[in-house]
Amino acid sequence: MSVKKISLKRELPTTTLSGFALSGLLVLTILNILLQNMPSKIQTAGDALLKLNATEGVANAVTTVVVFFRGFDTLGEIAVLFIASLGIGLMLHSNSRCNIKSESNFMLQTASKLLFPIIILFGIYVMIYGHLSPGGGFQGGVIIASAVLLLLISHKAFEVPHSVIVALETFAGVSYVLIGLIGLLVLDIFLGNFLPHDISQMGLLLSGGIIPLIYIIVGIKVGSEMSMIVQNLIKRDHDV
Amino acid sequence: MFEFFNQPEVIKVIVTFGSMLLFFVGLFGLLTRKHIIKIFISIAIMESAVFLIFIGLTFKLDFIAPILDSVNVEASTMNDPIPHAMILTAIVIGMAVLALGVSFAIEYFKLTGKTDIDEMNEMRH
Amino acid sequence: MSSILFVALPLLFGFATPILSKFGKNGVAYTSTLMQLFLLALAVSLLMTTSSYVEIISIAPPLGISFVLNSASLFFVLLFTLLMMLFSFYYLIHRKTDAYKDETKFFILLNMLLAAAIGLVLSSDIFNIYVFFEIAGISAYILSAYKKTPSALEAGLKYLLTGAVASVFLVFAIALIYINIGSLNLAIISQGFETLPYNVKVLISIFLLIGFGFKVEIFPLNFWVTDVYQGSSSLVNTLFSGIVVKAYLFVFFHILYLFLPSGEFSVFLIYLGAVSMLVAEIAGLRQTNLKRLFAYSSLGQVALIFTAFAMQNADAVQAALFIVLAHSVAKFIIFLAITSIYREHKSFDITTLKELNSPFLRAIMLIAMLSLLGIPLFAGFIGKFLVLKSLAVEGMFMVLAIIIIGSLIEAVYYFKLAGFMFEKGEKRELLKISLGEKTLFGLLALALIIIGIVPMTISGFLLDAGSVMLDAKSYVTMLVGG
Repeated sequence: MSVKKISLKRELPTTTLSGFALSGLLVLTILNILLQNMPSKIQTAGDALLKLNATEGVANAVTTVVVFFRGFDTLGEIAVLFIASLGIGLMLHSNSRCNIKSESNFMLQTASKLLFPIIILFGIYVMIYGHLSPGGGFQGGVIIASAVLLLLISHKAFEVPHSVIVALETFAGVSYVLIGLIGLLVLDIFLGNFLPHDISQMGLLLSGGIIPLIYIIVGIKVGSEMSMIVQNLIKRDHDV
Repeated sequence: MFEFFNQPEVIKVIVTFGSMLLFFVGLFGLLTRKHIIKIFISIAIMESAVFLIFIGLTFKLDFIAPILDSVNVEASTMNDPIPHAMILTAIVIGMAVLALGVSFAIEYFKLTGKTDIDEMNEMRH
Repeated sequence: MSSILFVALPLLFGFATPILSKFGKNGVAYTSTLMQLFLLALAVSLLMTTSSYVEIISIAPPLGISFVLNSASLFFVLLFTLLMMLFSFYYLIHRKTDAYKDETKFFILLNMLLAAAIGLVLSSDIFNIYVFFEIAGISAYILSAYKKTPSALEAGLKYLLTGAVASVFLVFAIALIYINIGSLNLAIISQGFETLPYNVKVLISIFLLIGFGFKVEIFPLNFWVTDVYQGSSSLVNTLFSGIVVKAYLFVFFHILYLFLPSGEFSVFLIYLGAVSMLVAEIAGLRQTNLKRLFAYSSLGQVALIFTAFAMQNADAVQAALFIVLAHSVAKFIIFLAITSIYREHKSFDITTLKELNSPFLRAIMLIAMLSLLGIPLFAGFIGKFLVLKSLAVEGMFMVLAIIIIGSLIEAVYYFKLAGFMFEKGEKRELLKISLGEKTLFGLLALALIIIGIVPMTISGFLLDAGSVMLDAKSYVTMLVGG
């Protein structure tokens, strides 16, 4: 075992100081430039899209932008989440069956079992009503995943079966791309809106054509993938 | 006195200051910290700062949220929906990349027991 | 046939893999190769039939995203689909002896990488480009750390860290662009970029340079490249140096030509590229690991392509496209040959070349290295010669000198390698190369020689692609005006 020398002189923390100075300098220059050139009100693409929103017959304009006008970006984002959960499964997959080291107490177990269906129901509500009020597929999917997380950290042997998650994921992913390809066949535009989207239906559940459909698909995919990521991160080989 | 703070220009200046302070904290952590998880957290802080400044500077104060219902049907008084959509996408992507990074760090720690980025030199030059 | 299939089909394949893996162990592998063959046929048919057009997604530009297919993007699409298909053929042979664990995931990642690279090249919307950057990046990080050994994980970690930091700066740049100009379409941004105040232009350009600079491997932001190449397996290195970095280069310069058509920034970039090449070549001299050595060589060649693109005239861009083609094919040959050598020798040290007993592989690697150096009669010569000629015409003799010195240094270590290969001494027994591999390597080497002897066959196409890439006005008219 080597003896570590402890110096009695107070050393100057060079890395901290130089990091402080460098980042401070950078941030001050950025701040200076931004404050000199505060943007005035300009006509942005978003305003034009807001006016176009009425033709799609969807109440929540952010949903229209996310799902339809920039639906290709959402498809890419789904792909990123898919690849990330693939990678985490590749790295951390273990066959261990236990989540936490010891059983949690009785109150926690009962309460979490009571809360689980309520949270799932709330998540599904946020997902389905995403085109009528703030919310949507991503938000609803994350809520569902948080319900799964609650059960994972309070019960020792709970797990969502791998085959169920893979089935949901596959179904959601394939249907998203297939809807895009059907749009390509029918309307000659990838991800075109080929279901009826009359403006008279705005505010009802069945409005906006493919938009609520895609958002529900996105919600299923995000919920199942986040659950799988959380499950892979929690399940470890404990020293039993 | 509070009317002064309610003007759009002043609020934008405050937002810029705040998010740049956050960006500074993140950048400082990225440059000086050695533990890999702290570096990931610094990157997450920097990303949050960028999202804040983006939303802050594209937000119009007297306008309302871009949701149409029976009361609000005027599209010209609504806020811009594109930054909302972009930030949604960017948040999910940033979270996915950082989760992957954390899983790499966990597996690396399981195999070698190192978390200090200066000690990660498996590859001798 | 629509160009969206280049992105939609690999995504569909990736999502549907659990269904495909029910068809037995080889189901995924053969479906993937068949799909890539179909994409290659699609690319060739697009080459024969169509002229430039805009493919609409969801809603017409400039409010929506669209894919723009012109001869420049078509060149890259062809290159990527062809190289990926050859890679799949190599892997189909390689997996008989050294298959990867969890192979379905490997194929998913390959195809996502291909979809993202093609999407980067075709897209005309800056936020869509960012999303494709992330798809390509995240597939590359996992491919890098696939083997789960400590060095592979370290390579994956370093790649991920630099990629994440680059993304932060890129999002900041996109945020500033949207705040000041108000649109995400490349055409409208290019129209509005000149009207911005000078400080804001400089800030956005610096952020774009930092964000792209990490990925385009330019000095001083390329400290991560050699560690990543050394830690990943050599199969994955072929993809990185042959496909991924070329897509990033195209996107960076496409955006540069649209936003900042000329000026002091280009001169700064030319010097940056030349310095990167010199630094990379000097550092490559004392390497003893094959993967690391060829990583430094990649850095040097990529810096040369960077310099050529930065000159912003049609001859230089044509030269850059020549070097892109020659470098991708040559690096494919080299890294796949290293993989075959590793199968038997189990070592990546350069001294294993002394024990290499395979006249076929020695000849193939010699051809690839001669092409990389720029020896006449090989494909690398015409590109390098055109770059040097353009530099002389512009009068930038300092940059000319730096590039020549860099190439001479590169020659030194290639000759050292060739000396090892052809040394008389203790050799192992004959390395058996299967017929499939021989055909593959032979095709690639033959391509290098044919392009070297008769570059006229493709030089017209490349000159057209170069001028189309530089022509910002017609790009803008295609998206907005027309």
